[in-house]
Parts: sequence; structure tokens; C-alpha cells
Amino acid sequence: MRHVYRFFIYLFLTVMGLIMFLPFLWMFLSAFKTSAEVTASPPVWIPSSFSLINFQLAFEKAPFLRYFINSVVVMISSVLVTTVTSILAAFAFSRLRFPGRQTLFSMLLSMMMIPFEMLIITNYTTVIDLGIYDTIWALILPFTSSIFYTYILKNFFDTVPESLYWSARIDGASNWHYLWRVMVPMARPSLTTVILLNALASWNSFMWPMYVIIKDTNRTLPWGLQVFTTEAGSNPEQQMAASTVVVLPMIILFLFARKYIVGGVARGGLKG
Amino acid sequence: MKKQSTDRDMIFRGRFEVIEPYLYLLPFMLGVVVFTLYPVINVVLMSFKQDYSMLTRGFSSWGFGNYQKTLTDANFWQAIRNTLRYVLLVVPISLVLALLIANFLNQKLKGSAVYQSIFFLPMVTSVTAVGLAWKFMFNNRGVINYFLSFLGVKAIPWLRSSQMGAYNMTALVIFGIWNIMPFTIILLLSGLQNIDPQYRVAAKVDAASDVRIFFRITVPLLAPTIFLVGIVNTISCFKVFSELYPLFGGNPGAMGNLYTVVYYIRTSMMTYQDYGVASAAALILFGFIAVFTFAQNGIRKITERRKVR
Amino acid sequence: MRVRLDHVTKRFGSFTAVEDFNATLEDGELVCLLGPSGCGKSTLLNMLSGILPLTEGKIWFDKDDVTKVPPEKRGVGLVFQNYALYPHLTVQDNICFPLETQRVPKKDRIEQAQEIAKLVHVDMLMHRRPGELSGGQQQRVAIARALIKNPRLLLLDEPLSNLDARLRLEMREEIRRIQQRTKVTAVFVTHDQEEALAISDRIILMKNGITQQNDLPQALYDNPANQFVASFLGNPPINYIPGRMQDGAFLADGAAEPIRMPIFHGVPDGKKVVLAVRSEAFTTEENGPIPAEVSRVYTMGKEEMAWLQIGDIEFRAYIDNEEGLVPGKQIRLNVRRRGVFVFDPESGERLA
Repeated sequence: MRHVYRFFIYLFLTVMGLIMFLPFLWMFLSAFKTSAEVTASPPVWIPSSFSLINFQLAFEKAPFLRYFINSVVVMISSVLVTTVTSILAAFAFSRLRFPGRQTLFSMLLSMMMIPFEMLIITNYTTVIDLGIYDTIWALILPFTSSIFYTYILKNFFDTVPESLYWSARIDGASNWHYLWRVMVPMARPSLTTVILLNALASWNSFMWPMYVIIKDTNRTLPWGLQVFTTEAGSNPEQQMAASTVVVLPMIILFLFARKYIVGGVARGGLKG
Repeated sequence: MKKQSTDRDMIFRGRFEVIEPYLYLLPFMLGVVVFTLYPVINVVLMSFKQDYSMLTRGFSSWGFGNYQKTLTDANFWQAIRNTLRYVLLVVPISLVLALLIANFLNQKLKGSAVYQSIFFLPMVTSVTAVGLAWKFMFNNRGVINYFLSFLGVKAIPWLRSSQMGAYNMTALVIFGIWNIMPFTIILLLSGLQNIDPQYRVAAKVDAASDVRIFFRITVPLLAPTIFLVGIVNTISCFKVFSELYPLFGGNPGAMGNLYTVVYYIRTSMMTYQDYGVASAAALILFGFIAVFTFAQNGIRKITERRKVR
Repeated sequence: MRVRLDHVTKRFGSFTAVEDFNATLEDGELVCLLGPSGCGKSTLLNMLSGILPLTEGKIWFDKDDVTKVPPEKRGVGLVFQNYALYPHLTVQDNICFPLETQRVPKKDRIEQAQEIAKLVHVDMLMHRRPGELSGGQQQRVAIARALIKNPRLLLLDEPLSNLDARLRLEMREEIRRIQQRTKVTAVFVTHDQEEALAISDRIILMKNGITQQNDLPQALYDNPANQFVASFLGNPPINYIPGRMQDGAFLADGAAEPIRMPIFHGVPDGKKVVLAVRSEAFTTEENGPIPAEVSRVYTMGKEEMAWLQIGDIEFRAYIDNEEGLVPGKQIRLNVRRRGVFVFDPESGERLA
């Protein structure tokens, strides 16, 4: 009875796992197929050769290299800036004292429930007014502060014993020195989580670039990919090659940092 | 944390230390004010500005015109209907599947890490990119129909126009469930891991079957988490858009009738340049989300209080 | 360095944590702030370190008024109860931290750290992290970190209470040794009277924010200023016999015969008083004035501790037992001169 039950569990998980993995499998395999193979019925699973020709063609038809660089630039700059602003704000909320601290913080928390979809309308016009419409700045500037990441970091900072702070102060450290020499190194796990979640969100961001980027050379990968698919002359196998380029970096990141990403989602998922 | 008796006068503060906190907050607050606080206030105002013009930034008068226009627009009601249908299908189905998977993953299994990696993968990958793979899989002669043919099902026109667009919706729901699964499994799994294993051990000692343990112990103890996850998923499903976009080449369904609320906001804004209606629709969406957020906070408070006791 | 606290008062809202505290700590002295929790001793320490501002009064370090000087500029060293070591830094980096903020060149930092680490015997552990050390070792590192910048004043906030009993004895001696070696003026906060008696040059006993007595350890024991001081020090706790003064002698409630002692002179006749007797101040005497019944006896090696019943009151006494105390035996007691005090039962004031 126990063995039957265990077998059933493995069977169920394996079938579900295959279903979950099927789109990736289909994407990766199709990226190497020929036009005939990709549309064949019944489907051809394994491509006849693993040549990179589809990648090459896709990169020739659309500036995917440019998209890739844009994505990397946007991701790195917004992660960098957001992390710094979040660290500073979280420290102020956690350790520094100023009138209205609690009130301001709970106001910010309640702002977390506002969907980005609602902010887009105004941010769109703001971006135009700032003169950064259809530039890469439009993808970076609106994402320089995050209440959510600040919240996660503040929660961690709150767990650091007060005596460490006073010890450092008595030993001559300023708030600034204490923050960067003691708090931030101690917060490394939380910081890693914040940075990874932020990087994922930035890399996969689609809706906002769709609103504010028109010029081909300013597009990031997900948005560039969608335009590529609706343009004439792009074949399924090339689309799958391009999709692979979008998806693969994050899969690799995930395989290396699964613990941090999953932990961060588990902790932060229900707050908000 | 020990509660400080008062914030004021608790510590020495020189002149610099009085302004220091604000310097730390400045860069963060700058972003929040410009790109979150101001937009919130503005979208509320905008929703009451009638005949707003993007070019002149002028409007004729204040009033409920935009709401009236939105609420009498057949497309908007269609968007609401589609969105609700999507929510009502995706949320319960994904919860049930995720609950089973999470429960199995929580038992000591060989290769658990591999299973977890596979189940969690969709969370880190671009929805719109994977959506393209789904688009090809949903083809009339695609893999999904190929698998269904073994079950004797005739080719289903998933993404083509058909009566009522029911197939379009089904395809969207399947993709939506697939997409929300990782998040749901992770949250339920972490909920399961917070359950004291002694309950299950005790039940095993009493020779209860695994199925019985699942229904009589695991599910009731996990109920608050299941509820919370359901609400969080409901909120995120209300905002369905990125799943829709790649499946139909940027169109809301094959016949253009698979509008969702967010899609409606986008069309009002970008196609019709009607910022007032877009704002009104966004606020209605926010109303839905706010109700569920308050419910979520309420449940969380109740369960936290129970934990304290 | 000489530290002077001048009418120091600290209030949190309507609660007064420290009231009108006056004391002078001489250069090189180790002074204990002793008292039950909530007596204001930690508040006082935090005011010395600069963590808490004063409500009223002034603090002087030699000739400098440091009342408004922030903690980082006071040049004090502080050892916390939980050690407050930086978990991500090695022992060496922890010890170097105060020099790092002073921008001392790295080479000098490490040299000085080595030196101080030798003094506190952690020089073999320089490249470990705090998590890999025992409680006693962590404590030593914390002391090294507090000492490396040559503080004018060393503050120790209940530094031994996180250690187990054996280590506590050892570290107590260590702290005393290190303090005497460095000759730093030190303030040691504790609620443990035994610790205070063993380690300090002087003890300031506090209760509810008010100084009860500021004296040499032995003087505190031998000559308590009031009933609270008498109760707080001593193990087993001091015994109390309620009664009243009659004809210049003490008559215990319910007793027939008065106790006569020269110290009773000056206590007004007829006054209700409490006679406080240390356990070691009892003697057996054939015709002693206090009749007692032995209820339990514990052998403690060279002497025996007996639980005695006098009237309704039970108390403890160390008694040289040559005749064999057995439960139920009736004996008669007298008291020695040393270790006997008379207090006012209402105010706790010392009468004799």
C-alpha cells in the first residue's frame, strides 16, 4: 500500500513536472529546428541538427544584441540605484529617529497595494514631461525606489540588536560608517534576495517598456521580442530562438540562486 | 523588539543628526513621490476631469462623466466579465493543483530539488517570451492538439476565432494557471513547512492513512495560508495582461473580444487617447484590489492573533 | 580619569529612572553599580556612555563637562551583556573596529590588536568569527575591543550574566586582573551582590533610581545604611526579628527576655523596631535571651546551617555545632556585636 502510494506521488509529480517544463522544452528544441520541422504534424521533437542558424537569422532581422545590451543596462542600473535607495531608507526607518517615522512608514506600506497599472497613466505623461520618453532613462528612473524592497530590508535591520549599533557609535562610528561596515555586510542574505527579485522583475518587465519605448534601438528584450513576432518575415523557429535568448539568462540565474529567490518569494509573497 | 518608551529625547542628537534621517530618506522619497504618490493623486483627479486632452492638458469640467462613459461601455463590461471569468477559473484550479504538488514536495522525496527547480521555473522567466512557445503549442496542428488526439479529441482551434471565444479563454486560462503555479506552490510549501510535524507524526502513530492526514490535518491547518494565497492570486489575476499579449499577437483574443480590465485601460489610453476613461477604469480596478487587500489584512491579523495565543 | 556625576537625573515621561545621583569615581577605581533590575543602574551607565541624554545634572570627565558630548566623542569603552560583537567580522577586525573609525593605519591597528589580544588571552583566535567562539572567549574579545582605544573610562553592562556559573567566576577574576593591569577607571553594572563584593573597589547600591549607599564593599556589608542595603547583601539573607525597645534593650515580639547590647543606646524606648541579624552573628549560649527551636539542619562542611524557629518566625543561622543540633531541639541563642543592626520597620532607616 505504501509503495503504491509513493509510486502515485512520483507519477503525479513527474507528469505535472513534464507539463510545467513542456513550454521550455518546446522552445529550446524548436530554436534549432528547420521551418519544416517546427510546423510538422505530427510534431518532430528532436531537431535534425543543433545549428545556431536560427539565432543568427533572428539577430540579423532584429537588433537583438541591442535589446540584450539595453536589458542589461536597465537591469544593472535600476538594481544598483534601487538597492542603494532602499538600504538608506530602510536604515532611516529602522534605526534613525525622526518625527513621524511610524506614520510615514505605515503610509508607505499601504501604498504597496496600489497596482502599477494604475500609476502608468500618470507616469506615462511624467516621462514625456521629463523629456525622457522613448529613451532608456524612461525605463530606469521610475524604478529607483521600491517600497517593497525597503520593507524587506527594514525587517532585517530591525532584527540586528541595538547593542551593536551603540557599541559601534561608542567606538567612534558615524551612522554612515555603521551602516556600510556593519549593517549592510550583515544583511547580505536579505540583500541578495532583494537584488535577485529586482533583477528578475527588471529583466522580464514588459508592460512599461511597451508604453514608453517606440524606437527599435531603445527596446529591451521582452518588448523587442513581441515586436519581432508581429513583424512580417519572422518564422516560428526564429521566434523560439529569440525567446530562448530572453529566457535563458534568468533560468541560469535561478539555478544558481534558487534558495534566495524562493526564500524571498516565500517571505514577501503574502505581504503587500 | 523592545519598544522604546518614546522616540524623542531617547538619544543624543546633534544638529547634524536632526537632519540626517531626511538625507537618508531623500533619494528614496524622491522616487516614491514622483512615481507613486503623485500618480495616485493625479489618477484620481484625472478620473473626474471631463474631456481631458493630453495635448493641451485642459479639460472642460469636473464630474462623473468618465465613470459614466466607462460604465456604459459594452467593452468595459466585457472586460470585467472576462477578467472575473479568468479569476474564477485560474485561482481555484491553480490552488488545488498547487496544494497537491506542495503537499507531495513537502514529503521527503528523492530528487525533490530537481522537481522544485522545474516547478518554480516559470516564475523567473519572461511571461511574454514563454507565451510565444504556448502560442505555437496551441496551434491547430500544435503539440497540445497532438496530445489530445491520443484521447480522441479533434483538433481544437485554441487561438482562432470560434463561437463565444470560449477556446480563446480556455487557452488563456491554461497559460495563466501554468504561470501562477510556481508562486502558489512556493507559498503553500512554506506554509506547510511552518506546520509542526508533530501533528502528522501523531496521526501516523494513530495509523491514519496519508489521504486522511491530508484532508483532516494538513488542509485544516493550512487553511489560513490557502485563503491568503487565494486572495493574493486573485489580486494578481485581476491584472491579467502580459499572458494575453503574446498568445494573440498583441490582440485581445482572436476576435478582439477577450478584453481584460488592464487591456481596456491600455486601449482607452493608447488607442483612444481617453485618459479620463483610462483613469476611471484604473480606479475601478483598484477598488476590486482594495477590497481583497483589506480582506487579506483582516485574515492575516486574525491568524496572527491566534498564533500569539 | 576621575569621573564626577553631579545631580544627575533621568526621567522618561513621568517615570524617574535616576534621581539626583551624585558620585565621584576616582582615577583607576573599579566601581560597581549594584541593584535589582529597574533600579536605574543601566540608565546611569547609558548616560555615562552618551547613549542617553541627561534630564538634569552634569557629568564631568576630569575637567571636561561631557554632559552634551555624543557617545563617539567621549572616549569610553563599553562592554555589553550580549557582547555586541560584529558577527561578520573576524576577532581581529572586531578588535580593530574602534581604531578603524579613528583612521589608524592598518599596520598599527593590527599591531595594537595583537597586543591587547595577548592581554585578554585571545591572541590565538584572531582569525575566527564570533560565532565560532565560546561565551567566555566572546566576552574577552568584547573587552579587548573596548580597551584597544585606551578609553578614559571602561563601562561594563552586566558582562557576566550570559555566562555559566564556572566561567562567571573565572571572567570575574579576569576582568579584575585586566582592569588592574590597565589601571583604567571602570564602572561595572550588576545585579549580583556576590559579584559586586568580589570585584569592586567601591559599590554604589541603588534602588528605584535613588542611591542607597556608596561605600567600600566590606563597609556595605558590615555597616548598611538602611534595611534595603542590609537585605540586598549577604547570603543567606539577613534575618529580621520584629520587636520593640524596652528599657534600652530589645524585646522580640512574644519573647520573655530582652536582648541587651551596647549598640542599642540611643534608640528611643517603646519604639517598634526590627532587629536584623546576619546568619553568622548568632551564638548558642546556655542562658541566651532568645529561645529557639531547631527545625532543620544542613551540614555545610566546617559549620552547620540551621533553620530555627523563634516564635512564629523562621530564620537561618550558622552555628558552631559541637553539641549536635537535631530537629526539635530547644536551644537558647545570643547575638554577637558584629552583624546586628536595628532598623525602623516603617522607613527602613538604620537606628543602630
